[in-house]
Amino acid sequence: MSFEMWTEKYRPKTLDDMLDQEEIVSRLKTFVKTKTMPHCLFAGPPGTGKTTAALCLARDLYGENYTEYFMELNASDERGINVVRERIKNFARTRAIGEVPFKIMVLDEADNMTADAQQALRRTMERYTETCRFILICNYSSKIIEPIQSRTALFRFMPLQEEYCIKWIQMIAEKEGVSLTEEGIRAIIDVCGGDLRKATNTLQAAAAFGGVVDDKAVYTVIGRAHPKEIREMIKLAISGNFVEAREKLRALLVNYGLSGLDVVRQIHSEILRMDIPERVKIELADATGEVDFRISQGADEEVQLSALLAKMAVVGGRM
Amino acid sequence: MSVPWTIKHKPKTISEMVGSSNGNGKAIQQFIAWMRSWESGVPKKKAALIYGPPGIGKTLLVETFAREHGYDLIELNASDQRSESIIQRVVGAASQQSTLFGTGKRLILLDEIDGITGKEDAGGLFAILKAIKDTRIPIVLIANDAWNPRFAALRSVCEMIEMKRLPTRLIVPYLKKICQKEGIEASDDALKLIAERSAGDVRSAINDLQAAAQGRKKLTKEDVAWLAYRDRQEQIFNVLRLIFTAKTVRGAKMALSLSDVDYNMLFEWIYENVPHQLTDLEDMYRAMEALAKTDLYLKLAKREQAWELLSYAFDLMTGGVALAREKTKPKWVPFKFPERIKLMSKTKEVREVQSRLAQKIKQKCHISSASALRDVVPFLRVIFEENPEHAAGLAKWLRLDLDEIAFLTQNNKLAQEIAELAGVKK
Repeated sequence: MSFEMWTEKYRPKTLDDMLDQEEIVSRLKTFVKTKTMPHCLFAGPPGTGKTTAALCLARDLYGENYTEYFMELNASDERGINVVRERIKNFARTRAIGEVPFKIMVLDEADNMTADAQQALRRTMERYTETCRFILICNYSSKIIEPIQSRTALFRFMPLQEEYCIKWIQMIAEKEGVSLTEEGIRAIIDVCGGDLRKATNTLQAAAAFGGVVDDKAVYTVIGRAHPKEIREMIKLAISGNFVEAREKLRALLVNYGLSGLDVVRQIHSEILRMDIPERVKIELADATGEVDFRISQGADEEVQLSALLAKMAVVGGRM
Repeated sequence: MSVPWTIKHKPKTISEMVGSSNGNGKAIQQFIAWMRSWESGVPKKKAALIYGPPGIGKTLLVETFAREHGYDLIELNASDQRSESIIQRVVGAASQQSTLFGTGKRLILLDEIDGITGKEDAGGLFAILKAIKDTRIPIVLIANDAWNPRFAALRSVCEMIEMKRLPTRLIVPYLKKICQKEGIEASDDALKLIAERSAGDVRSAINDLQAAAQGRKKLTKEDVAWLAYRDRQEQIFNVLRLIFTAKTVRGAKMALSLSDVDYNMLFEWIYENVPHQLTDLEDMYRAMEALAKTDLYLKLAKREQAWELLSYAFDLMTGGVALAREKTKPKWVPFKFPERIKLMSKTKEVREVQSRLAQKIKQKCHISSASALRDVVPFLRVIFEENPEHAAGLAKWLRLDLDEIAFLTQNNKLAQEIAELAGVKK
């Protein structure tokens, strides 16, 4: 018996295997051919192949032992720029032995770094530029400071085109022996857009039910993957039960391990679907946006979300 | 919550009390000697005033002595009304009765005499003085602060017995003994932190121990780290009371300057208590929104070193909350300890399992641990709940342990089954 996450099992290994993103792939292939490359900035929405492209590039450049010359760091996990700098320093200060004269450092979620941390990163990039090339990965290139943007080659990843997504999902289903209906594919595409990771995970979870993967199975997965606690929390708040709603919120943040922004965004999509007057929807959407903004400014997740729940309690009381 | 440990583990004899041999040994001997002196007739000082800070065993000493030596204890404390007539009736009757009926030995205890103030207790002190003059049985008074000028007359007629805060080195062994009885394996540094934080107050140390350790098998320093954030509650309660009853911004802001409570800690207290204190929804919302803004300013002030923002934060945190009250009627509602501070230590284990799981997914799937929890775990949960065989394969691939599997199934039996299929060792 062998199971893996299908996202990994079927992750393309070389640039040739990559789907869509043709222009990007052909530029990266030139790097492989000439064995030179600039610092790069990969920007684009989730699940469009940014990390995969970096991995494929490394494998094509260095061969199977690529991990010796290649390091992945996640800016949102590593505590503070000092840790990042220290690890970069240790990795980058020694020269690569072999045909390719540089190593590659991938820094994922670089847009989560503060402007100050990015400044420090810029200096580090310059110091080690001879021995190491950086690939910064982010969702929004606009959140990367100008000096870094000007020192990197920008690669803009687009959401995958529908036909490629369909082809991909069908290929996995076929290899895994999953029977997938037309409606099932349609549902996956509708829900996941061009996010291949989400699409693949959805397929794998739907296949775990053991039957045919149709639209019903897909929507069941999606429904369950979004904790129903969020809807319950909103209901409690709107019915004026603020204290219990706040307890639910704590459980979501702590036991479920959801980030505040995840909760905010799920609240947002719930609000729009709820059976409440349109004017109330927009009032709550406005308040939700405010919370999103404040959290992104570094405010406390629970406190901000509590204020939103309090707002819901008031709005619910008026209805 | 079950029986408070301060009661469950109350010493049965004086020798079991913290500091009975050293620490407060001298004071205890002084008290015993004074009580003994009654055996050979009424002594010159017919009352004893035991004084010292809370939680060091003043009342306990008297109670335990009475039990050990067969005294009936007649007790009055601050929660009783103490008007002159009541004291006269109770104290007077009790002190006389023993001579009239000659029944068993009696001892009168007047606890918390610091509370005797104002109009309601008018004449109370005078009544006590008179009772001491008339009594034929021992009267013991207990106070925190014996040097209040009001007690000048009392001091001159009382045996003055001072009890002191107890040093950490004496409290720790006592906490340890409780842990043994409760079957808890506690690390020394955890107990030391609890003892230190209590500032010599054994009662609060035991309460803290119970809050942190009840229902656990092990207690580490991290489990009690939240104590370090806790200031003396009384001081916080006073500040909260001021804030929740102030009618002006100035009045509310004063609360902040009157105390040396850390403002981040005060924020937590206010944030916890707003919905309990302000029950009208509109009032509650205004206060929560004021706190949300406060939080934003506090975080920006810290991050951008923009300390001038603090002043707006303080306005909102105090005045903003105070003036949110429009419809809620003032009513006495007890203040609650900030739950989320406790929660952080209680849920430590779950959070650890979660972060280990996130690390394992992160390594295999080239994503951040935040993204692992957000984008992968929800799908894993579906698989682990629906398809044990498929789940077992993934568990093996990710090298999950039983705890991590159980985090995904939220069901121990199912987790067990998957673990067996995957050949996970216990």
